[in-house]
Amino acid sequence: MKHKNLALILAAGAVFTFLYLPLVIVVVYSLNDSKLNAEWVGFTWKWYDQLFHNRALLTAARNSLMIAAISAGAATVLGTLAGMGMYHYRLKVLPALVLTPIAMPDILMGVSLLLFFIMLNMSLGLISIVLAHITFCIGFVAVSVRARMSGIDPSLSEAARDLGASPWHCFQKITLPLLAPGILAGALMAFTLSIDDFVITFFVAGVGSSTLPLQIYSMVKIAVTPEVNAISTLLMVLTLILITLTARLFPGALRS
Amino acid sequence: MKPNTARNVGSGDRWKRLLALPPMGYLLIFFAIPTLIMLFASFRYAGEYGGLAPWYGNEDGSLSINLTLENWQRLFETDLYLRLFLKSIMYALLATLLCILLGYPLALMIARSPKKHRDLLLLLVILPFWSNFLVRIYAWMIIFSPSGALTRMMNVLLATVGLAPVSLMYSSTAVIVCLVYVHLPFMVLPLYANLEKHNPALLAAAQDLGANRWRRFWDITWPLSLPGVYAGAILVFIPVLGTFAIPDLLGGTDGIMIANVIKQQFVESRDWPFGSVLSMALTAAAVLVVLLSAKMGTRRGTLR
Amino acid sequence: MKRRWVFVVGLFGLLMSAIPSAAADGDRLHLFNWNDYIAQETVTTFEQQCHCKVVQDYYSSTEEMMAKLLAGASGYDVVVPTQNALQALIKQNFLHPLEKNLLPNFKNSDPGFLNRSYDPENAYSVPYAFTTTLIGYNEQRLAKLGITARNWSLIFDPRVLSKLRGKVTVLDDAEEVFSAALKYLGYSINDRDEKHLREAQQVILTAKPYWAAFNSSSYIKELAVGNIWVAHGYSSDMLQAQADAKAAARDFKVNFVLPTQGAVLALDNMVIPKSAKNKALAHRFINFMLESKNAATLTNKIGAGNPNRAAAEFIDAKIRKQNAIFPDAATLTKLETLEASNAKQRRLLNTLWTEIKIK
Repeated sequence: MKHKNLALILAAGAVFTFLYLPLVIVVVYSLNDSKLNAEWVGFTWKWYDQLFHNRALLTAARNSLMIAAISAGAATVLGTLAGMGMYHYRLKVLPALVLTPIAMPDILMGVSLLLFFIMLNMSLGLISIVLAHITFCIGFVAVSVRARMSGIDPSLSEAARDLGASPWHCFQKITLPLLAPGILAGALMAFTLSIDDFVITFFVAGVGSSTLPLQIYSMVKIAVTPEVNAISTLLMVLTLILITLTARLFPGALRS
Repeated sequence: MKPNTARNVGSGDRWKRLLALPPMGYLLIFFAIPTLIMLFASFRYAGEYGGLAPWYGNEDGSLSINLTLENWQRLFETDLYLRLFLKSIMYALLATLLCILLGYPLALMIARSPKKHRDLLLLLVILPFWSNFLVRIYAWMIIFSPSGALTRMMNVLLATVGLAPVSLMYSSTAVIVCLVYVHLPFMVLPLYANLEKHNPALLAAAQDLGANRWRRFWDITWPLSLPGVYAGAILVFIPVLGTFAIPDLLGGTDGIMIANVIKQQFVESRDWPFGSVLSMALTAAAVLVVLLSAKMGTRRGTLR
Repeated sequence: MKRRWVFVVGLFGLLMSAIPSAAADGDRLHLFNWNDYIAQETVTTFEQQCHCKVVQDYYSSTEEMMAKLLAGASGYDVVVPTQNALQALIKQNFLHPLEKNLLPNFKNSDPGFLNRSYDPENAYSVPYAFTTTLIGYNEQRLAKLGITARNWSLIFDPRVLSKLRGKVTVLDDAEEVFSAALKYLGYSINDRDEKHLREAQQVILTAKPYWAAFNSSSYIKELAVGNIWVAHGYSSDMLQAQADAKAAARDFKVNFVLPTQGAVLALDNMVIPKSAKNKALAHRFINFMLESKNAATLTNKIGAGNPNRAAAEFIDAKIRKQNAIFPDAATLTKLETLEASNAKQRRLLNTLWTEIKIK
């Protein structure tokens, strides 16, 4: 669609600037030859070099990516189902059950899950972190999918059913593509929430199952070091590559 | 209720009801049960050194039930917590409004750009949020710092018009800016998902009828996008209420919000029962606000 | 389509496995410690000696650590609690008694830090390091303003503060700020008399409008950069701020002082939880940390005070002569350690603190 709405593009551009302003600082300071991180001193790669020798930090980054990929995946499936359920049926329980986790303060959720896991005698580790992350991500996906559904023309899928398509076939060929942007938005939010969570993860993490936010929190006591900026930059680039690769391999998989 | 066949349970559509079972089951186990444990905890006594005191039995072996309402009473004893709730709700409302204001043009621009660019633009919106939360906040602290370029530039400008220099660091402005920044993608993404499906033919038709750009926006795009705005508002308003790290780091001496006090109960003063009370009250308030506004939306016919 | 999925999953797996894992084979020691409270070289030396891996988890406040342990998290072999948390852990019967025959280096400990009231025979704990809570300041700025006070008036006295408006931060910690205010008023830091606490609250409320923030996380940087001129914080952090300002060749010097009215001393101790999986290795680690040279490294690299007598000769002379890091006998009498407070006392303190923060 061609549009010449300059005002809209300018406004969006301004918001993009707002989004990227701090990011520029993160990247620039990861290349700055000053531990204090206060002003520009000189260019260096040494923080990246140090980073590749920091075993704990790299393991944590790997854990974080793994946890985020798995929990975002599971939460997207469950959240999409919940979003559809919320739309199709006026089940009073479901909206409450989906909304309350979003509203629950992180710290209470962390403590309650920790108590729950210990009651079940479950050992804490990557699995408990993933289970917790799925819990707080479902709601975000569901709300996004639900918002996409309202207003979608139901006659399409009805027509398909009238023509004899099986429910599954109809879902796959019609409902899913229609919902795709909502699902994609939900999945991106879930991934972001999971990769960035500190509070809940702190409580449900077991010994030695540190994630990147936990590791970074432990490092920033003495302000953010350039090394932390470097790992943040790296994580961002790595995630971008993973996602672009996935998108390249499935052109149109998540598109209407 | 509006007649809408898709929402009625046809006999052949019964399987759809089953779809809601997996997420419901998951949330019942991993959310409802743990939450009930904490709800129960809000009626227990705090342990002498932290944690929870046993809710039955005594040290001498005699049997008694140790439950109390005093944690809930504490909530209403003073207006301290009520004031904090109101303050937090004001902050959250302001942040939500600003997110709509900033997020709408961005989402609209993405939804109206050529199809092949949309996913990329969407990715660009979320990309900054894959760096670490704390790292981003510290970047903002650099921007706000008195020696930072932004503050210096602003103060030079203020000086030319004869105003006193200001400091952004440790101010409520800094808190609001960061609250908006951190939650902006949660407005943009659902909004985009909604705007993306709008039928361009509608706008073209309106144009043919002579409606100008503003009329077309207010009469067509905006009302159609309300479910998206509403979803975004939920995903911004509620999480902002639960934020404590931003007021902690940027808020100065009186920047705290209700979530800071909740955090204090669980960590600093190790008063889990009162922490549960505050959390439950906050959650109930947030869900109530959301469900009430949903109800109002339904009545007005804009939302279903 | 299916093949592609396999490919993506495979690629993801490959990428994940390309990143080296900390969890290698052999024995593992799980250490739950403060952020940045052990030198990397010490960890490496220990790993070589015992042919094991040290896996660290961190906390940034006593309360964080307590919250997690009290909820029942287990699996840590060695934890490093401060004395008031230690007191609570002992009373809750949470700790494994130390087997002294496995700790020959225990004799290196300074008797001045042993046999404390909460653990009379050191049955459960061994001193690790200590810090004091004090005031760090920008020497040039204070000189220029003509401020000579080097005690708690720097953060509480409105006459002094009026020259420092917006340039002072205090710790975001109720116990620490109340301790400082109680000391300023001449009371003990463990005074939990409501009347005295209300007086302290008044002192804090009077001073608050002059403060820039409650800050526990970034004052080192703010001091070193020069945005903040007076900060209430921990001795090891102030040493760091001093070194940072020097390394960045600032045109001012960061200094610190133990307030004359007295201050808080925090003694961190090594303990073994009952739930520890590898108690033998835990003892070995504690004994290793008590070795004079390893203990000295802790001070030289981290800047913590050292309760190890034998370490003295290996400690950097410049750090050793700082009274704030190594208080002499006279100063030591003015330092107090916080005691564990009960549920009621904590609740009162929290209410007073919340009132301060919202006003």
